[in-house]
Amino acid sequence: MSSTAPLRRFVASFGPPVVVLVAGMLLVELYVRWANTPIYLVPRPSKVLLTLNLEREYLVAALWTTTKAALVGFGASAFSGVAIAIVLASSVWVRRALSPYTVFFQTVPIIAIAPMLSIWLAPGLKAVSACAFIVSVFPVIANTLAGLVATDPALVDLFRLYGAGRAATMFKLRFPSSLPNVFTGLRVAAGLTVIGTVVAEFLVGELGEEQGLGVVIVSASHNGHSDRVFAAVLLASALGLAMFGTVNLVGRRVLANWHASARD
Amino acid sequence: MSTRVWTRREIAVLLALSAAVGLGCKKDKEAPGAGSASHAKHLSLTLDWVPEPEFGGFYAARESGAFGTHGLDVDIKPRGQGETWKLVAQHVTDFATTSADQVLIAREQGADVVAIFAVYQTSPQGIMVHKARGFSKIDDVFTNPGTLEAEDAPWLKYLLRKFPGSVVKLVSNSPGIASFLAKPELSKQCFITSEPLQALAADSDPQTFLIADAGYNPYTTVVIARGEMVRDEPETIKQMILALREGWRAYVDDPAATNAVMGKLNREMDAHTFAESARVQRALIETDATKKSALGEMTTERWQTLAQQLVDLAVIKKAPPARELFVSPLATP
Repeated sequence: MSSTAPLRRFVASFGPPVVVLVAGMLLVELYVRWANTPIYLVPRPSKVLLTLNLEREYLVAALWTTTKAALVGFGASAFSGVAIAIVLASSVWVRRALSPYTVFFQTVPIIAIAPMLSIWLAPGLKAVSACAFIVSVFPVIANTLAGLVATDPALVDLFRLYGAGRAATMFKLRFPSSLPNVFTGLRVAAGLTVIGTVVAEFLVGELGEEQGLGVVIVSASHNGHSDRVFAAVLLASALGLAMFGTVNLVGRRVLANWHASARD
Repeated sequence: MSTRVWTRREIAVLLALSAAVGLGCKKDKEAPGAGSASHAKHLSLTLDWVPEPEFGGFYAARESGAFGTHGLDVDIKPRGQGETWKLVAQHVTDFATTSADQVLIAREQGADVVAIFAVYQTSPQGIMVHKARGFSKIDDVFTNPGTLEAEDAPWLKYLLRKFPGSVVKLVSNSPGIASFLAKPELSKQCFITSEPLQALAADSDPQTFLIADAGYNPYTTVVIARGEMVRDEPETIKQMILALREGWRAYVDDPAATNAVMGKLNREMDAHTFAESARVQRALIETDATKKSALGEMTTERWQTLAQQLVDLAVIKKAPPARELFVSPLATP
């Protein structure tokens, strides 16, 4: 294989979206300048980039705070989501009894529950991570469960014929075959985690040195600094992309040699 | 496929309907004036929170007919989302309420908004603590361990500068008073006309410190308009100011009827709290200064002081001339 093949693959993967991003930003820059749009409505992309550079220490510190909470929330939703799905998949009656209640995680308005979490858990990292978990766990549960119950019945029968117990069937057949679904759920959860983290920070985040991007957004908005708002939003989006990309990469590695979804 | 042709009768009916709709939508360009209710100028006023005694005078102006008397038909919209000055600047609403420091921030961002009426002469912004903590002054909030729920607003920057080496943990302000009720060590930002009264009603022990007493006292619940409206429609602005003055006079003197109206719009505040809040805020609205001038009146000195404070806090870069920031009701003939 050519030594430049990895570079070509990298450019082929990331080049098109980067070109679209740059073109989009140029269009917005030209439009804002031509229309003389007020800065408090839409700051120029060049001003946003300048703010990203000039205030990088401040913004990166906030990004790190948000990242910590997002990772804790995502980790909890990944672990709990898979565990809950395994429990639900283990029995038809358990599934029928408890599945409807998992929808609670999808529908609960985080703005209502965040203040209560800050009372039960203390404002800051704990409450924010809990919000991130609540917002992101449902897709993991739903997708993992879908994969677990969709195992090829012929293979399940084969395991039964060979005297495999429930646990063996679950962990040696059902769970491995549901891995593509698990990673689908984790990909969706990755983006939702960032949203849940930032929104929770609006309400229960710490101010000061440990403030996250959500607090930066609210504070900048309140003080009229729309360039800082957009800079923080860009960083939050980048975090979401990074988490999504990481899950994608891990998924490809895990599924690489045996599942069609990891080959393209 | 057949193509149906409109008959002449159908076309005539359609044209007549279009003309009727067009006439109905035609804006009334007449200037407002006393007694011209049938030609009242339609305007909108967006509030920056839910209906509470803080906005009582606006509802009183509507209910008492003060707006109508001055040729205005004002649609009051509670709880504007986000910074209300943006809504005014972008023609989403004609008037809105905000605080004086937001006017300065808005103008630095290029939004041509001007203050026309200031409800609170003394800002009701405060910090609420539990009485059991034994604090005697606002300094204690910052010099003792604990948590303060507050938004990162100019007043907080002012206090953090005033009390360097603060040991209190700062967290975002959560809605409602549940966190204050649950945690004895929690201090919380508040309007002294609202949250402390709710806490008292919940059998808590709130004690409040006014931030104005610490030296930061922007006009609050300030009615703003677009600068172009102030320049191009001075008669509308004058009538609006007069109507607001009458509405607030009526509300300060007797808030009961208006409280009943607002109580239907805001079910979260009971009648007793409405009455108490209206009572507590009276001294913040009608001060010695307004007794000499008029309700809602503003002064150049107050605006200059605020502008300089915001420059010192690096909230704005430059203090604009005070004359650009407000319209003085007493200057209107």
